[in-house]
Amino acid sequence: MSHAQDESSSLYRKEPKVYPRDVTGTFAGLRKLAVFVLLGLYYILPWLNWDGRQSVLFDLPARKFYILNLTFWPQDFIFLTLMLIIAGLTLFFVTAVAGRLWCGYACPQTVWTEVYLWMERWVEGDRNKRIKLDASPWSAGKILRKTSKQALWIGFALWTGFTFVGFFTPIRGLGQSVVSFQLGGWETFWLLFYSFATYGNAGILREQVCKYMCPYARFQSAMFDKDTLVIAYDEARGEPRGGRSKSDNRADKGLGDCIGCTLCVQVCPTGIDIREGLQIECIACAACIDVCDQVMDKMDYKRGLISYTTEHKLSGHKTQLLRPRILVYAILLLSLLAGLTWSVNQRVLLRADLLRDRNALYRELPDEMIENVYTLKLINMDSKPHRYKIEVLNNENMTLFVSPEPELQAEEVGNFIVRIQAPKNAGRGSMEVDVRFSTLDEPVIERTVSARFLMPFD
Amino acid sequence: MRQRDWAVVLWIAFLSAASGFFVLFGLIDPLDMIGAWAHKFDIGVRLAYGLAFTFLYLLCLLAAALTMFMIRTGPARGHVEGKGRRPIPEVHDPSQSNPDLDGEDWR
Repeated sequence: MSHAQDESSSLYRKEPKVYPRDVTGTFAGLRKLAVFVLLGLYYILPWLNWDGRQSVLFDLPARKFYILNLTFWPQDFIFLTLMLIIAGLTLFFVTAVAGRLWCGYACPQTVWTEVYLWMERWVEGDRNKRIKLDASPWSAGKILRKTSKQALWIGFALWTGFTFVGFFTPIRGLGQSVVSFQLGGWETFWLLFYSFATYGNAGILREQVCKYMCPYARFQSAMFDKDTLVIAYDEARGEPRGGRSKSDNRADKGLGDCIGCTLCVQVCPTGIDIREGLQIECIACAACIDVCDQVMDKMDYKRGLISYTTEHKLSGHKTQLLRPRILVYAILLLSLLAGLTWSVNQRVLLRADLLRDRNALYRELPDEMIENVYTLKLINMDSKPHRYKIEVLNNENMTLFVSPEPELQAEEVGNFIVRIQAPKNAGRGSMEVDVRFSTLDEPVIERTVSARFLMPFD
Repeated sequence: MRQRDWAVVLWIAFLSAASGFFVLFGLIDPLDMIGAWAHKFDIGVRLAYGLAFTFLYLLCLLAAALTMFMIRTGPARGHVEGKGRRPIPEVHDPSQSNPDLDGEDWR
């Protein structure tokens, strides 16, 4: 191939920009509702208080996570891991039942892209106007529109980044720091980083994230079967497609119900033609269903040429909701949820680490007594202050002394020195002792830990 | 994925994990980590090195394998005939040959 030929028949294809047309309808309404609920939660939750503190706060320096009335300590991270596993399983379950429901309505990429599209439409107009504006030469009007859109996008991205940091740093204090230009280095970094990610993903990359970057989109086929809900075009009913007027008789013209208006392509946020069959790019947002139903209404045809359906239903079989994989996911999910609820409720809000003093095995006291010294780290994980009683269990010979008085404020960590004494003739070598810690006030919280007590061997 | 791809995944993950391992333990002495865990965790130095390398290697393997999977299975970017790539769908004015969908009245 000559150089000239090589240039004229390039195999490179630039990704065409998608200009989704605005759509109204049942599913568009549901998506709007999802946007308001999910982003509402995201932007409002950190501003709400619970028991005098921020309702959701992942306080990394203090190593405490607050979620409504629950406080998670580093020792409780197993619960957060469980929550993540439950979230993942829920996603699998929903995907197996209803297909890409997550992608179409709840994925942050979809939700934020939707908001960025609203801003774009508000400033630049709907599909046709945006195509014309992009194709037109630069003018004062175009500069004004493009600058206004960018200002809105960047402002919204910064607000999003600020809120993100507000989940990790008390948001009211963060707001004051921003206003007084006293934001710390790390806070500035994460605010700008998350703002940039929001702007880049929702404003610039949009559908390309779903098509090229999202691994979940690729894995989903493993969860799909012939009874999974998908968005599909009824080819048997729609073909052959072709233009006509309402008064035309379809049968006479040899046409199906698809009038070839291409509106389903124009509303698609990933720019695909659903009539080509199930495609990996389809995020199941149902915009094509909404617009096609409106066209069918306009033509006085039955709705549902494009619809939520299953492969089985399309091929004339009955859709089975209760299938082995659904049952397995459901049982796993319910068991984990029950386990998590039970274990969170059974949490002992007291933690005690009793570490033997490594400098000396034991101390011989004048009155034929042996003493072992321990460092006690006591954590009050409750939201109330407590005084504690500490005692050695099942060993009347042993006496325990603790200093200072074991008293802790709410969520306080305290270090104490514990001395356990026993008569020299009470035993030999290494003995295991159980030490019980219990609150002296309500509610009763108690925990028993084991420690080694060393005596002379001779 | 082909066998050669897996070899690349294994080798790149090993190189990344090894680099990460030297940097990590250049900065951290595993002996200092005994009291640093949320739960009591005194595993000894040899096992700490072994477990840390295994963990890093598994993490790097996951990243490398996922990258390979994403590149191999996705539509080939920029190539007109990339795997799974369909021609750009044709669109036109909805009212073209459909006089009842006149202008914006189609809603």
